[in-house]
Amino acid sequence: MSNIIRTSALVGAFAVLTGTAFAEDITITVWAGGSNDSDSYRIEAIEIAADILEREAAIQGEELNITVEGRRDFTGWDEFKQGITLGAEAGTAPSIVVTSHLDIAPWSQAGYIVPVEDYVDLDSWPLNNVYPNLMEIASYAGTQWGIPQDAESRPFFFWRETLTQLGYSDDDIDALPGKVASGEYTLRDVLEDAKKAVDMGIVEKGYGFYPRVSNGPDYAQFYQSFGGQLMDPDTGKLVLDKVAMTEFYQFFVDAVAAGVTRQNHIGTEWNQWYNEVANGRAAFWHGGTWHFGRYAREGNDDFWNTIQFSLIPAGNEAGRANTITHPLVYLVMNQEDDRIEEVASQLIAIATEPRLNSLHAIQSNHLAVAQAQSNIELYRGDRWASEATEVLLSSATSQPNHLQYGAFSEAMFRGLEAAWSGVQTPAEAVAEVEAQMRATLGGDLIVR
Amino acid sequence: MTSRILGIGFLSPAIIAAFVFFLLPVLLTVVFAFTNMSTSTGIMGGDYQINTEHLRSVADTGISAGSVEKLETAGFQITEAGLIGLADQFSERAADELREDLLGETFTKRRDLERVLRELDDPIRKTRDRKAAADLFAVTIIGERFDTQEQFRTALGDTGIDSADHDALTEFAFTGWTWTTENFKLLLELPSTLRFATNTAFYVICTLAFNILFGLFLAISTFYLPGKFANTFRAIWFLPRILPPVLYVLMWNWFTWDTGFIATVTGWFGVPPQNWMMQTAPRAWTVIILINGFVGASLGMILFSSAIKAIPTSMLYASEVDGANRWQQVRYIILPQMRWPILFMTSYQTLSLLTSFEYILLATDGGPGRSTEVWALAAYHTALNNYGGNLQYGLGAAYALVLVFIGIGLSALYLRFFNFKELLSKPRIEQ
Repeated sequence: MSNIIRTSALVGAFAVLTGTAFAEDITITVWAGGSNDSDSYRIEAIEIAADILEREAAIQGEELNITVEGRRDFTGWDEFKQGITLGAEAGTAPSIVVTSHLDIAPWSQAGYIVPVEDYVDLDSWPLNNVYPNLMEIASYAGTQWGIPQDAESRPFFFWRETLTQLGYSDDDIDALPGKVASGEYTLRDVLEDAKKAVDMGIVEKGYGFYPRVSNGPDYAQFYQSFGGQLMDPDTGKLVLDKVAMTEFYQFFVDAVAAGVTRQNHIGTEWNQWYNEVANGRAAFWHGGTWHFGRYAREGNDDFWNTIQFSLIPAGNEAGRANTITHPLVYLVMNQEDDRIEEVASQLIAIATEPRLNSLHAIQSNHLAVAQAQSNIELYRGDRWASEATEVLLSSATSQPNHLQYGAFSEAMFRGLEAAWSGVQTPAEAVAEVEAQMRATLGGDLIVR
Repeated sequence: MTSRILGIGFLSPAIIAAFVFFLLPVLLTVVFAFTNMSTSTGIMGGDYQINTEHLRSVADTGISAGSVEKLETAGFQITEAGLIGLADQFSERAADELREDLLGETFTKRRDLERVLRELDDPIRKTRDRKAAADLFAVTIIGERFDTQEQFRTALGDTGIDSADHDALTEFAFTGWTWTTENFKLLLELPSTLRFATNTAFYVICTLAFNILFGLFLAISTFYLPGKFANTFRAIWFLPRILPPVLYVLMWNWFTWDTGFIATVTGWFGVPPQNWMMQTAPRAWTVIILINGFVGASLGMILFSSAIKAIPTSMLYASEVDGANRWQQVRYIILPQMRWPILFMTSYQTLSLLTSFEYILLATDGGPGRSTEVWALAAYHTALNNYGGNLQYGLGAAYALVLVFIGIGLSALYLRFFNFKELLSKPRIEQ
């Protein structure tokens, strides 16, 4: 008995000494898809945010201990997304995920994620400083589900030396992005110049135009180049523009016929691809803003004197020069305990702080999500970040958050593959894509 | 009796394993195949929700125009009931101020109302409180998620939607999966179905023929080799079987890539470098059939070799005395006694080839241009692989279920064709 009294007295004294509030321990797990070493700030920014939030709580007299557990060692997007969805079904989902904005539509419908707007004030700093078009991309069906984690864009690249050998002066090359933007220099010119480069022996056959080697948002850009529209803004339905789709396929078929692109190009090893484009083996190609750092790692540390970049050129009169931004977003996953959702949302808001986001943007060669980042020394001082923001981000569009967009984009790419590899003619491929889309998308599709 | 129980007892691990690893997956495939299950429906049930995207098609459910309008225009309204709640839970001053300035006012978005609450003379300062306070004025169900049907129906009633429309709206708002036969209709409708089916038939027939013939050839040729050589050869030919698939296919990739072995060697003779696997569909097929063929043939070789060993050597010696040459020995002694192993290999390989896609996935991933996409690979791509994130579990299971039926049908056919009963009948000598 006396023992118990003594113990309780000790505990009581201890409690008085350490303050009245009890400590709250919260574990936040962050899973980041498609992230390698240079993307470490996707997780580290949350860790820094946790420190800040703990300090804020301490000032208010609460003891908050946040443990952040990050994971980004996924072999690919497939494994990551399977892990997330199966985890969500089993109730073991992480608290925060960094993923494609395209996941918002299916995951919100399935109830895997909760709206970040339920927990944070979108009208206060730093969320009110995020580019409105990026905030829009992280929302779906009138709800702000997530917060943009980074922005990027998918430019067209030119190897300067090849252009010089084709007869372009330095001034011509510097003026190219402008000409592309105004529609003066189109994909037809790309084809012509690429063919010349191959014929003159400047680049090998198949290396005139050297596109992305797998499915991705990039190919929707070429559809837009030929006048295609992904979603009808009035009805919210996906759009299959048959003329644009045929011309877009035809462009790649023509590139193969002219010998500037390999017929079996799709499926080329990514490592081989990066190495080749970084070192001038290809005349024209397209990629992403984050390639800047990758090219340096592949041995090209003189980007500005070897490579020119622009929007993806227009394909014809109907289309326009364009680029797609495919931001990753921070999403909060549905948890048993609302308090975890709340803390997770607050951490995301703090991690969006321009200074923190700039760490990620510069380390991984991504673009800013908030306007104020252009006033952060680190960001402003980086030539690539500021020029890419200027040339590309203002013209960037995004793919629609739509439940069926995955099926749409998959069918579009399958058709492209069939035409490109010569299994079907562009017209046949489009006819099959149409049948496929009509069957799978039904009322969600408009065919033009 | 006890021995019978003991028997079942001994068998029980096998029975449990067969149930967990075979029957259960098949049953689940059947169940999934008749649902519209996808990432967006989730697997474990669903909730009730109508959001602004759903609103676009809500009129298609046949509910009254009045209900549609109510759903579309409702939002957050400053009502007396809400104000009482606000005064009760948060601040009386704020409630008074709102009553004075904004009674009856409607806001389409919660965010607009939150802004008002933030700008009051006596503002609601904490974000979370502001959201809770705004929810007191909600007269909409748009965007809100309800866990149960009852909650959803109650909310519909509270917002004044005509009760005649409740059933239709409840069905419309359910986010989980529902039973359907649409998957099979879709399979019949899709132009790709026929192509995947022909691809699969082509793949199975060619690979099977290669497996059996090459396996037989290896078994018979090593049978006539001296023991040591024979074992060495068999060990070499067994390598594809024991190598991990990823490594094995990687070696094929090195062999056939633009910069690989074949391209380098043919390059010496002036052939431009090219990808010997992916350049054209016939090449892709050749490589795939070889990749799978060598794996299957090595298993066939082992099985056939042991079957040949089981043939009494006296028969072979006797035939040699009679002047039979090697070909005649193979034709009249070895092959007739190989019926059972050949039947086994044929049926086993057919079934495993029908469902196997891992080597194709690793080698061509169905390319170039979907020309080597087989049925099982299409099932995988549909159910578990989608750049846009909405995986079609139901449709993928429908693909798989078709395979299950084809497999069962083919097994029955084989058993009949090879006269399975006779093979299992008791030897006459013991009758």
